[in-house]
Amino acid sequence: MSTTATPAAEAGAPLTGGVARHRTALIGGAALVALLLGTVLLGGGGWPAHFAVDLSGPMGDTSDWITDNRDSHPLFLYFFGHISNVVVLSVRAVYLVLLAIGWAGVTAAAGLVAGCLAGLRPALTAVSAFALCGLLGMWVPTMQTLALMVVAVAASVLLGAVLGLAAGLSGRVHRALRPVLDTMQVLPAFAYLLPVVLVFGIGVPAAVLATVVYAAPPMARLTALGLRGADAGVMEAAASLGATGRQRLLTARLPLARKELLLGVNQSIMMALSMAVIASVIGAGGLGDRVYQALASVDVGAALAAGVPVVLLAVVLDRVTGAAGERIGAAPARGTGLGWAVAAAGTVAVALVGRCTDRLSWPDAWTVDIAGPVNSAVDWMTAHLYSGIPVVGGTADWAARFTTWVLDPLRDGLQWLPWWAVLLLVGVVAQLIGSWRTALTAVLAMAAIGVLGVWDPALDTLSQVLAAVAVTLLAGVAIGVVAARSPRLERVLRPVLDVFQTMPQFVYLIPVVALFGVGRAPATAAAVVYALPAVVRITAQGMRAVDPVAMESSRSLGATGWQQLRQVQLPLARPALLLAVNQGVVLVLAVVIIGGLVGGGALGYEVVFGLAQGDLATGLVAGAAIVCLGLMLDRVTQPVGRESRDA
Amino acid sequence: MNTEPPAPSGPSVPSGPPVFSVRELWKVFGPKADRVPADPDLAALGPAALRERTGCTAAVRDVSFDVRKGEVFVVMGLSGSGKSTLVRCLTRLIEPTSGSIAIDGEDVLSMDASRLRQLRRHRAAMVFQHFGLLPHRSVLDNVAYGLEIQGIARAERRERAAEFVTKVGLEGMEHRRPAQLSGGQQQRVGLARALAVDPEVLLFDEPFSALDPLIRRDMQEEVVRLHGEEGRTMVFITHDLGEALKLGDRIALMRGGRIVQLGTPEQIVGAPADDYVRDFVRDVPREQVMTVRSAMRPAGPAETDSGPALAPDATVHEAIEAVVRSGGTARVVEDGRCLGVVGHADLLGVVAGLAPRTEAA
Repeated sequence: MSTTATPAAEAGAPLTGGVARHRTALIGGAALVALLLGTVLLGGGGWPAHFAVDLSGPMGDTSDWITDNRDSHPLFLYFFGHISNVVVLSVRAVYLVLLAIGWAGVTAAAGLVAGCLAGLRPALTAVSAFALCGLLGMWVPTMQTLALMVVAVAASVLLGAVLGLAAGLSGRVHRALRPVLDTMQVLPAFAYLLPVVLVFGIGVPAAVLATVVYAAPPMARLTALGLRGADAGVMEAAASLGATGRQRLLTARLPLARKELLLGVNQSIMMALSMAVIASVIGAGGLGDRVYQALASVDVGAALAAGVPVVLLAVVLDRVTGAAGERIGAAPARGTGLGWAVAAAGTVAVALVGRCTDRLSWPDAWTVDIAGPVNSAVDWMTAHLYSGIPVVGGTADWAARFTTWVLDPLRDGLQWLPWWAVLLLVGVVAQLIGSWRTALTAVLAMAAIGVLGVWDPALDTLSQVLAAVAVTLLAGVAIGVVAARSPRLERVLRPVLDVFQTMPQFVYLIPVVALFGVGRAPATAAAVVYALPAVVRITAQGMRAVDPVAMESSRSLGATGWQQLRQVQLPLARPALLLAVNQGVVLVLAVVIIGGLVGGGALGYEVVFGLAQGDLATGLVAGAAIVCLGLMLDRVTQPVGRESRDA
Repeated sequence: MNTEPPAPSGPSVPSGPPVFSVRELWKVFGPKADRVPADPDLAALGPAALRERTGCTAAVRDVSFDVRKGEVFVVMGLSGSGKSTLVRCLTRLIEPTSGSIAIDGEDVLSMDASRLRQLRRHRAAMVFQHFGLLPHRSVLDNVAYGLEIQGIARAERRERAAEFVTKVGLEGMEHRRPAQLSGGQQQRVGLARALAVDPEVLLFDEPFSALDPLIRRDMQEEVVRLHGEEGRTMVFITHDLGEALKLGDRIALMRGGRIVQLGTPEQIVGAPADDYVRDFVRDVPREQVMTVRSAMRPAGPAETDSGPALAPDATVHEAIEAVVRSGGTARVVEDGRCLGVVGHADLLGVVAGLAPRTEAA
């Protein structure tokens, strides 16, 4: 542990180095004393039963009460009921409009809008992506997902913008909101599902609201960031010309923040898509539901046929909004009125042609069934690659070995550790990386898991997270370091990372199920694949950002490449590396939880089980434990002085 | 015989009622700032002692001056001397702690929000060190921004803005973005924006400090030209002594929030008020700033009729040339009357920084 603190301190100011060493020794000493005391006074074993509170009773009562009163209690009749109706009606309306325009109209509209916002290439991407969705026989689910997305994104952008505006203009609101938004952004998507289901029941309203709540924080954060970051000189100039508060906001502060606003919209859309797919578990329908059903029956072909449109949708939405952001940020918006008119006219024309020729739904003759061939390919793989290949073994063998040699010992080890030793470990690590504040939150969050009575499954989840994080960091930092040194590799990697980072979490489950079957190892593998791009990217950026003067001076002293890496780059890139660890942990947790759908077990499975069996009490307890685990992992890996972090 | 000291105002400045009249102005940053100017004990403390006792910093301390109509009033000082705070107090971009400010006799500190906006919209416009341009707008719309805030219709304000774009020499660049311009061009946009609202006073806050030396010189000449054409009152903040001497009709030299000396460039250079100012102006080429008025001595009986004639506000630099050519003394003549003479010794005395004889006399 002590090694994490010292290298940077030595490279930095010698004064703080002394303090850091001192501090490390202090923490170590305190931990040792606590260890001895604990052994003598508390003994071993898991979380003691008399410290746990069984919440399933009261939670079950609450859930029963809500189910009974959903149609009669005024709170539901006059508040939640209206929300639910508005959501259903809006999604339905958008869906009907999409159907009325027809496939040709939607594809044309997508192309024209993309063309207006972002240029020719995104337009072509959009057209071919929609055509491909139809070709795969997924037109109707794609439209269902799109309809849900339109409503959810509109609502979350609006909600985020309002919150962001308040936080951007008032320091007090900002201080109150920031920790909430920070925390919301590190929680796994699964944690949001149960509370909305409790109130709204399974169905489209719950799915939309979960999506809105999940997607609003980035918009709010970035809006506030943009508004607060407005160039003080420009704001002063506006004031010096006698602008009123309203004029300052509308003509200066908001336009100055347009880059952040557009980035916020982009991030909200990507988060919404990710959640809209996951929310299939609570009745979102559409593409996510197809993936979910297919995964439940381990039908990889069908899962892939629905998964590809999800990826296409993600890529198109990201490219179009991203390119639009850069365009509007850089150049004057000229002639847009004409462009929009052309787009609208074109869409109407194509839609009318489609109506007149009675070709509104995607023609059946134009679909390609990939499920069959994919499944035969998977069958072939199962027969030939799963196991028994000489020397290297098969994929199933790898998964089994990983489970036996890594996951099992880790889980059993964690569960064998006395409960107070786990808390102590959490506290010490958090204290070493961050401050006593983060350590306190982390320890409390971990203790809350014990109190909730899900200590063992939580440690099971934790063991998967730790294994996946270890693999992710080893691979990610290595690739990142190499990519930072080799521009060629970086060029090759960048488009791959771009695509990987836009894909919704859910999609990662499909290939790992094809390769490794179901179980804890595939869930871990999906988590590694999902978190890897972010870790690679942050590491590479951090390494490249190292002061070139420091690099040059070490080279001028005759340092070898290895010496430069160890003595200059890694210590100076420490903040970036810590951020990579933090992001890696948060992303891994999100997917390990979703891994409950493919046999990952533990907390994720309890949520799925609770939803599937209508046993909301079990699900809610597991959901709360996920929140605590997420909070704990984030705080443990949170470096001191993290000011702003872009998701 | 004429031994009267140089006139307090620069020779070319018309006297009249002051545009800005500032009295006993204080700006204190920190908790419960009001008590510092009110309490003579606290007000007398130095910066370090004040911070220790109250946690406050006094940026402007008990400053009084008048800005006369049509003059270029320069406030000069090093960074941290309070000069930028002072100029922001004039239009209450920074709210002063105590004291009084009047514009054309009207009390600025008692203005309500809408009256203050009127002041900022029509009477005093400011040019900033870092330009403060809106990056998402074209040059033309940036220049028109002040007019837009006043609520002038789009066509009219663009027409008026185009005129000022031309005036500052940016014609043909109306549709560029600020980011596509050089620093000097961006500051021309800032200048045009301030001019476009036709203010009574132009306030400059270190407008050329961020520019390259050559461009800075161009812009200084631009300001001299504009002042010559329009005679607009200007308050000019700078940390550059050369710039202050070049542009200023009068200069207020600030240190630690106080004005240590207020006078014409010649008074500042020729008669520094204290060692700080003396040290400050030590390297100034004195012959460029000092006039023969301060270098001359009373004419001896034989000297009133011979030698070349010089105007009283001719610089010593010019006089040296005349004296060297004639080999004797030169006469200082105003309205056909001989005020005095300058010889080798008088001029060399100025260059060497010796006290002028007139003061000694």
